Amino acid sequence: MKALKHLLVVPLVLAFLISPAQDSKKAKAKLSPLPGTTRMLITGSAWFGYQGILNNTTDTDVTSNFNDYGFSPVFLWKLSDRLFFESEVEIGAGEFELEFAKLSYMVNDYITIGAGRMLTPFGAYGERWEPNFVEKFPNSPMETSTGSHLHRGAIMGVDVRGGLPLGSVKMNYVVFISNGPILDQSNGMVQYENLLEENNNNKELGGRIGILPFSNSSLEIGFSYKRGIAGNQGDSVYKDVAASAFAIDWNYVNDISAIKSTITFRGQYNSLSVDDAIYPVDESSKAAGTYTFDNKQTLYFAQLSLRPSLVGNKFFKNLELSFRLNGLTDPQDAAWGAKDKNGKGGTVTRTDLGLTYWLSWKTSLRTAYVSTAMPDDSNTNEFLVSFVYGL
Amino acid sequence: MKKIISILILVGGIGLGAFTIQSCSTSAMVQAKSGAQLWGENCKRCHNVASPSDYSDVQWDVIGTHMRLRANLTADEMRKIVEFLQSAN
Ligand code: HEC
Repeated sequence: MKALKHLLVVPLVLAFLISPAQDSKKAKAKLSPLPGTTRMLITGSAWFGYQGILNNTTDTDVTSNFNDYGFSPVFLWKLSDRLFFESEVEIGAGEFELEFAKLSYMVNDYITIGAGRMLTPFGAYGERWEPNFVEKFPNSPMETSTGSHLHRGAIMGVDVRGGLPLGSVKMNYVVFISNGPILDQSNGMVQYENLLEENNNNKELGGRIGILPFSNSSLEIGFSYKRGIAGNQGDSVYKDVAASAFAIDWNYVNDISAIKSTITFRGQYNSLSVDDAIYPVDESSKAAGTYTFDNKQTLYFAQLSLRPSLVGNKFFKNLELSFRLNGLTDPQDAAWGAKDKNGKGGTVTRTDLGLTYWLSWKTSLRTAYVSTAMPDDSNTNEFLVSFVYGL
Repeated sequence: MKKIISILILVGGIGLGAFTIQSCSTSAMVQAKSGAQLWGENCKRCHNVASPSDYSDVQWDVIGTHMRLRANLTADEMRKIVEFLQSAN
């Protein structure tokens, strides 16, 4: 914990140090001479999808389904040169949800303080790659088997962030404090997306440091960490049970003229570790004995995309071929999660092979062949189609 | 876990070292980059690039701030990029 605090201090000190030197270079952004001073933009996207299940089905299963639709307006207000508000509402597939609503105050060029409901700044996926016009596949990378929102979704809290030029290298940072994870005290599962349902006074602390080692910014590598108490306030057994997680993310984008293509290689590796605790064998009666287990999970995805953006042909230019490998390993002895034939926790592997046609920078028709292999050797193959319309 | 924290601190330390060596100034090469070049390098990293003509001057000002915050771009880069987009739309 102490070490974490030190870690959080480094970028802040850096930011304060450079701030006076660079502030004077501020150039006033040119604004439209048209009447009116409100600077706002409504943007967002709409989508619908189709799913075809190709194997592992019985006669009564529905295997062909238009299974997804939705519309997500994003509202952006630049309230002053220092104040910015952003919000997204998601309407679709039986849901009406405020995805985020965040107010940011730009203290100087290197420090911005934000507050509200914000996309999780843990790793790069949640904040940067999840918005559905950024995603290249009709589906998302794999989530944990318990849907814990370890690496995605939103948090309620405050963050401090900024980008720092360091010679030809660039660095950026986010530190945050938020409502933390909640432990299911009957079985050791952890849930991150709790928002207002906090179960203890301890707030989660976390952050990410991003490094862009090349002067052309083609590569960014991020290191993230977060830790919070997950047990209930004052509970005699679980009050100190904490969940900590780290992630490593990377993003490399470059035009390779030899193959007349833009390649994107990105991914994120997450590891979650919950302190050891004892749980009742029988969840409902809590009468029988207890057991404990090594409560650790890992989750990752890595994807490579190739778009022949440098060829002359208009059709091929807009095609993008992508491959994504997803993996999830659940605890060996938990009462939940993916199990192998012996009832032990195992690894789920999913491969996504995608072909996308971009009709504009934000609008695309996506298809994918998705194959999931479970630890008990069963597998499912699916065909997905989705149309995402950028607004 | 301790190992990871040490790695993170190390990375921070390296950043700090790099910063000290550069002594407060962005290298001349980076400083000399035009808004157009910075746009070409930075705006394609996460998603496809929108054309400058897709948005008005005011809208680019709003988007610039949004991207500065969301993508953690440096303020200096963002000012140059927004100026370029506003001159090219
Ligand atoms: C680190 C990733 C990243 C980089 C780099 C990036 N963007 Fe974005 N951009 C996003 C994400 C994520 C969104 C969607 C935001 C949302 O709606 O939640 C977005 C949205 C947009 C939009 C839609 C309007 C809006 O503001 O939501 C525009 C236009 C845009 N970006 C332009 C740019 C430009 C210009 C640059 C270069 C300065 C840039 N982007 C660099 C991640 C990035």
